[in-house]
Formats: sequence, C-alpha cells, structure tokens
Amino acid sequence: MGKKEFIIRRLLQMIITFLIILTGLFFVFRLTLPDPTAALVMEGLSAEAQAMVRARFGLDRPLWQQYFIYLGNFFQGEFGMSFHYRSAIAPIVWEKLLNTLVLMFPAIIISYSIGPLLGVILSWRRGTRVEFGGIVGGLFLRSAPVFWTGMIFIMLFGIWLGVFPTSGMRTLPYEAVGFWDKILTLDFLWHLILPAFTIAIYYVGLPMLIMRNTMLEVMGEDFIELCQAKGLSERAIMYKHAARNALLPVVTQAAITVGLAVGGQVVVEVVFSWPGLGREIIQSVRTSDFPMAQACFMLMAGMVMVMNFFADLLYGYLDPRVVYQKGGK
Amino acid sequence: MVKRKMVIMLCLVFLLAMGLSLNASATRVPEFTILTTTEGYDPIRYEAAFLIQDAWAALGIKVDVQPLEFSTLIDRFYNEQDFDIAIVGWSGRVDRLDPQHFLGTLHSEQMDLGGNNPGGYYNEEYDELFTKQAREFDPDKRREYVLEMQQIGMEEQPLSILFYRDEVLAYNKNTFSGYVPMAGEGLYTEWLPFDVYPIGDSNTLTIGTSQEPDNINPLDSTTVWGWKFMRLYYDKLVRLSPDIEPLPWAAESVEEYDERTIEVVIRDDMLFHDGEPVTVDDVKFSYDYMVEQDFAYFRPFYEPLEEVVIIDDQTLHFVLKEPTSFFITVTLSQIPILPKHLWEDIEHADQLSPEDIPTVGSGPMKFDRFDRAEYKRLVKFEDYFKADEIDIDAIEYIIYADAEGTYTGMVTGEADMTAWRLEPAQITLAEQEDHLEVVSVPDFGYYHMTYNLRLPALDDVNFRRAIAHAIPHETFIDVLLDGRGERGTSIIAPVNTFWHNPDVPVFEYSLETAMHLLEEAGYWLDDDGRLNMPQN
Repeated sequence: MGKKEFIIRRLLQMIITFLIILTGLFFVFRLTLPDPTAALVMEGLSAEAQAMVRARFGLDRPLWQQYFIYLGNFFQGEFGMSFHYRSAIAPIVWEKLLNTLVLMFPAIIISYSIGPLLGVILSWRRGTRVEFGGIVGGLFLRSAPVFWTGMIFIMLFGIWLGVFPTSGMRTLPYEAVGFWDKILTLDFLWHLILPAFTIAIYYVGLPMLIMRNTMLEVMGEDFIELCQAKGLSERAIMYKHAARNALLPVVTQAAITVGLAVGGQVVVEVVFSWPGLGREIIQSVRTSDFPMAQACFMLMAGMVMVMNFFADLLYGYLDPRVVYQKGGK
Repeated sequence: MVKRKMVIMLCLVFLLAMGLSLNASATRVPEFTILTTTEGYDPIRYEAAFLIQDAWAALGIKVDVQPLEFSTLIDRFYNEQDFDIAIVGWSGRVDRLDPQHFLGTLHSEQMDLGGNNPGGYYNEEYDELFTKQAREFDPDKRREYVLEMQQIGMEEQPLSILFYRDEVLAYNKNTFSGYVPMAGEGLYTEWLPFDVYPIGDSNTLTIGTSQEPDNINPLDSTTVWGWKFMRLYYDKLVRLSPDIEPLPWAAESVEEYDERTIEVVIRDDMLFHDGEPVTVDDVKFSYDYMVEQDFAYFRPFYEPLEEVVIIDDQTLHFVLKEPTSFFITVTLSQIPILPKHLWEDIEHADQLSPEDIPTVGSGPMKFDRFDRAEYKRLVKFEDYFKADEIDIDAIEYIIYADAEGTYTGMVTGEADMTAWRLEPAQITLAEQEDHLEVVSVPDFGYYHMTYNLRLPALDDVNFRRAIAHAIPHETFIDVLLDGRGERGTSIIAPVNTFWHNPDVPVFEYSLETAMHLLEEAGYWLDDDGRLNMPQN
C-alpha cells in the first residue's frame, strides 16, 4: 500500500472517530446533567419565563432533533449558543484558542528543543553523577505541580522582585485591537515569560527521560559500533546517528502534547489569569454552560487527532524504515 | 425436610421482623435529608448542615446530609421541589432592598414548581397582608404590614434564617479615598464615581474582579455582574441612596398622581453619550421596549405597568394596572434609560451579536471597552449633569481568573479595590498588608433552611418551633463565619433598618427547651432514643 492510500485511510478513520466523539460528547452532557437548563434558569424566574428560555436555546425539542441540530451546527463551523454569554460560541472560542496557543507553543518549543538534547547528554554520560542528577531533576520537575511552580514564580518574580507581571497577557490600559497587534510587542513577551516557563519546566522532563531511554537502547545496536569503528567523532555519532534514531517516541509524545495544548495548561491559565481556552473550560463548568464546554472538548479532541496524524506522517520522514502497510510488516 | 423447616422458620422470622419494624416506624418521626452545597462551593453552608445534624441527633431526630452540586441543588429545590429540608440562600441584590421580593417567597402564589416558595408555606392572613403592602404607596403604612408579616413568618417558622453573612472587602488606602460601603453591595456600588477621589498619582480607579458580565446587552444580561457594570453607564429615573432612600435622579420629581398613576418630571439637562438629548420619548421608549421585547429578567419590575403616557416635554405618567408600592423603589431605580434612536430599529434585541450591541447610555460613565477575561474600561462622561461631582477620569477592571489572582493584584498594587468579597483565608493576610484597608459590610441577603411543609412532622408548627431551638446560630457566626456575620432572624435583614422588624421572636439555642417543647406537643422518645410522632 502506498503513502497516498494510507493517508486516505487515516483520514477516513479520523472522520469516523470524530463522529463518535461528537456523539459521545452530546450524550454525556445530556445524561450527566439532571437538567441542562438549571444553569439558565435563575432563581426567581417564573415557570413561564423558564419555558421561554428553554425554547430560545432549542431545549424544548426532542433529544434526537437537538442532536441533529448540534451535528449540523458543528459542520457549519459553529458551536451553537452559549448559555452563559447568550451569544454565539464560535468567535469566543476561537479568540481564546489563539490566546492559549500563543502561550503553549513557545512553552512546547522550549521544552522539546531542550529536553531531547539533555536526554542525549544523560545517556552519553551513563552512570555518572550527571546522569543521576539529570534523572532526579527531571523527575522532580515532572512531578512538581504546575500551580505550585506558578505560584512560586509569582511570589518570587512578581511580588518580591517585582520584575515580571503576575497576570494577564498585556499591560493595562492598552489600545491594541487586532491579534497581531496584541502579540507582536515586547510587553506581551514580558507577560509571557513566567507562564511559558512554568509550563516549559513541567514539560521538559518527559522528552528528556524518553530520549535518554531510547538512546540507551539505540546505543546497544551494531551500527553505533560501526560508526565508532569508522572513527567518527563522538559528537557526530551521538547527534547524527544515535539521536536521529531515538527521536521517534519523542515525536509521538510531542504530537500528543501539541494536541493537548489546545486545552491549555488549565491550571497555569488560572494561576496567571491568562485569557485562554483552559480558563474558559473552568468557567463553563462553573456556570454549567455545557454548549461551551462541549465546544472546548471538541476542539481538544480534534487537535489531538490531527496532531497524531501528522506524527504518523513524520515517522516516515524521520525513519525511512517505517512503511505504510496494511497488517504490519 | 430440615431445609424446608429452616426456610419456613426464616420466613416467619422475616415476617415478624417486618411487622415489628413497620409498627415502630409508623409512629417515628421520619428520617430527614438536608440538601446543602458541596464543601467546595460553600464550606459554610456545608458545615452548617452537619452542625444541625448533630444538634438534632440529640433530640432523636435522624438527619442525613446530602451535599449537591449547586445547579443540581437549585434544580431539586425550586424546579422539582424534591427535598425534605434544603439549605440555600438569596443574594442581596439592590432591588431586593424593597421588601416585596423576599416577602413574596412565603406567598402561596409562589408554591408551584419553579416558584420561590418551594417549601409550600400557605397562610391566608399572610397572603392578605402581602396584597395590602404591595398596594400601599405610603411607606409608613406599608411598613406596618411588612412588620406584621415578619412576625407571622418567625412565629410559624416555615423556614429558619441561618445567618446574614458580612461581605469582607479590601481597598488600597494609598491610592483612592472616600469609599462608602453599602449594605449588600459592598464597595462596588453605583455611587462609586461620585464617592471616590484620588489621593495618589492616578485618576483611574482600577477594580480587581474575577466575575465578569455574562454580556452587556441591556435586554439580555441576566447576571448581577452584567448589571453592576451597565448601571454605571446607563442612567435611571430614580437612584437608591446608600440608606436605601429613593432619590429622583434623571427625574426632577417623582410623585403619586393618583393611586394608579405616578407622575415623573425629567431633568432638561441630560445628554446621551453620543450627544443626543435625553427626552421623554426615550424614557417612554425604554419602558415600552422592555415590555415589547418581553425581557424576562425585568418582567417582575415592569409587570405592573399598564402604559406610559407623555404629558408634555418633561412630564410622563406611569399608569399601573393596580397600585404597586415597589414601582418607585424598584422599577424606576432599575430599568435603564435607552436611546430610542439607536434601539428602535432593532427587532429582536436578544439576538444581537456582541459587536452590534449599542453601548450608549446617559449615565455618569461612558462605555469604553470590554475584552472577555481580560479588561473592561469606563471613562467619565464630561457632559453629565453632575459631572463636577465626579473626581475620577476612568474606572478600569482587571478580570482575573479567580479570587487568588484578584488578591495578588491587590497585594502588588495593580488593583485599587475588590469588587467581590475576599476568601476567608485572605482576610487575615489582607489585614497584615500596610496599604490595604479591610472593610466588613453587612448583607441583607440571607442563607436559609427551608422545610418541605408537605411532609409529616415538618407540617406541624409546634415541631418547627421546637427544632428552631436546636439550630446552633451562635456556632455558625463564631466558628463558621469567624464573627463576620449576624444570626438569622427575619427574612428582612436587620441592616435593612426601615423594613426590618426588630421585635420578632428569637429562638435561643437550647436543646432542653427544644425537647421540652417537643414533649409538650406530644412527641416522645422510644427505647432506641428516636423521636416518635404524637399518638392520638
């Protein structure tokens, strides 16, 4: 089977998976909430007014109709109406998604460029104090809860030293209107540093440890010995030959991380009051705004699937031995 | 053989046990379930339920506490009325300073599903007094009725008011001064622009908040936070003073013309923020438009209105369907004046997309911007008729993700004041900060425990009066609220001085008294220490 066929098959799979997820999301929200309109119906509203509110959000229709309206909305790139904001969800969600991505991508780039490099060094220095320190450090960073790191950062750099802002993504008052106006400023960068590093520090441990483990496996292989026999420099063997082969699992992990990045680091967004999608998820749960929560989860699911798809394609590039074939090797 | 005998024996024992237990439970006071909030949502109401459970156990009343997620709790209580006893609350919104709303929560008209009287309290005398007070324009006469209703409510105990909780807020005392706290409103009142003045470098007051408006459409916003924001840039005919006195505001005068008509003369020096004058046409339009668009949130306010008639350039008559006392205090002080020229062509106001919502009002501040989850800003309206009483240039809001973020903003000096109460743990910390002033403001909203009066024992007024002595009010205040609150008495809180009845009977905490009253009413303890229903 060729590459083209593989791609088509994977795309079809994705569509089916996504339909299942859409359906699941719809029914999970309907079944777990006793009355989805409880959120809408303020204390003190008459029964008649409550019925009107239900009708406005289409909640008076039978469930199957609601389901098809929901699907229809989705394929038109809409996510319906927010119960809480009482306006279309799509513009709100897209804006917050962008805010989240400008926070997550720098953090992921930092951690996934430093992490694997550190992993290579650790494996090369196998058995030394460097490796021991690296592993302990990596595990420590990995297990330190982000809200804690974030709060320590705020206390240290925000309150005591006063060198970085503790909240938001720009200094108030501001005039910027467009998205690019907002993020192409030094002020934005200044606001970005603390939250981005909080996330990067948390993320860096995983690629580092994965890289180290696979490197150790790869280094036992014959071709490394051959490289050494050829008299290649240690640096060349390490980075050019061993690391490239050990990169595959890191790529998978990176793809998943990027996919999940859509949801943001919910906790970091809250700690730093970053106006992103993660904070929106919390808000939507708090206000029982389930169309909004649905939209957020949908975006997350979609992104994870798309990124996994790219990771699959990237394998072929990184490792020519990967062939797209039905039923294994 | 042996097996069969065993089976028969077992059956007999089982039947006997069934009979015994049926016999016993038939007279026992049933086990009650108290619905309350989760610990995460409100630790105080959660703990209060367990304190009550303990106290009542001593009376032989078995209680199960069931914490529920908030919207489920509200749904079970109001919409399904599926509860024995529920601990919920009413927030102290400014329009509830008029006794109408809270008194209505015990009116039989509100007994149906979804109504505000889920306990099902019904008292003809109370209902009659309710109608009388609702029609009485003379505040002093109306007050008599209101006091009497509170007396009935306390004597009959269809619910127990657990406590009124103070709002604890903080402001930076080095940047602005002149804050006037208002009952139930805290520091973030509609008088803010007139009260505060800068004592530091900045003329822009920065409010830290983690609450944001649901939207800023005056025909669609249904949250307190939407209205607390919008009322700064929309004007109203009447404003309630910090002492809850209705003051004519955009109105030159508000008078009772006859028993169904209120005559309003508007000021002649008002402008909208786009420069257009505010006229009687705009005022009439605003009220008509609310009715025409059927804006549910305000319906109780405009419901009594029959029509608005323009008499001359400055004068309007509000003709009511029947005499309605709260029309001046609530309706005229809550419904915003909208510019007719911007709204009249909008057919379905609730379907406006956010960028199409007109934000032009005639209030003391002008709308400038609102960026979700980030920032809001209002600037002083220089042509306001009382502009010279405003000493600040702008009000800006930093929207934090949570109370923790807001507090950090207060500590770093980013925010000058908080819009909402501090978390209990932050209060002591804030008191240690040199630049922060912590204020406690009493609330007129209340937390109550409502009984389902359709159930046995709970339907007995003697039973309710007895267990009223077994509610540890002092512990709620001293332990749960750390002294920042007041014990619950009547549904009209003491801070609402004019309407509160200070002479209502108060049930002191005493398990002996409670037990004594129960026994007097015929209840008795069985050998298991469980309370039994009176035998007759």
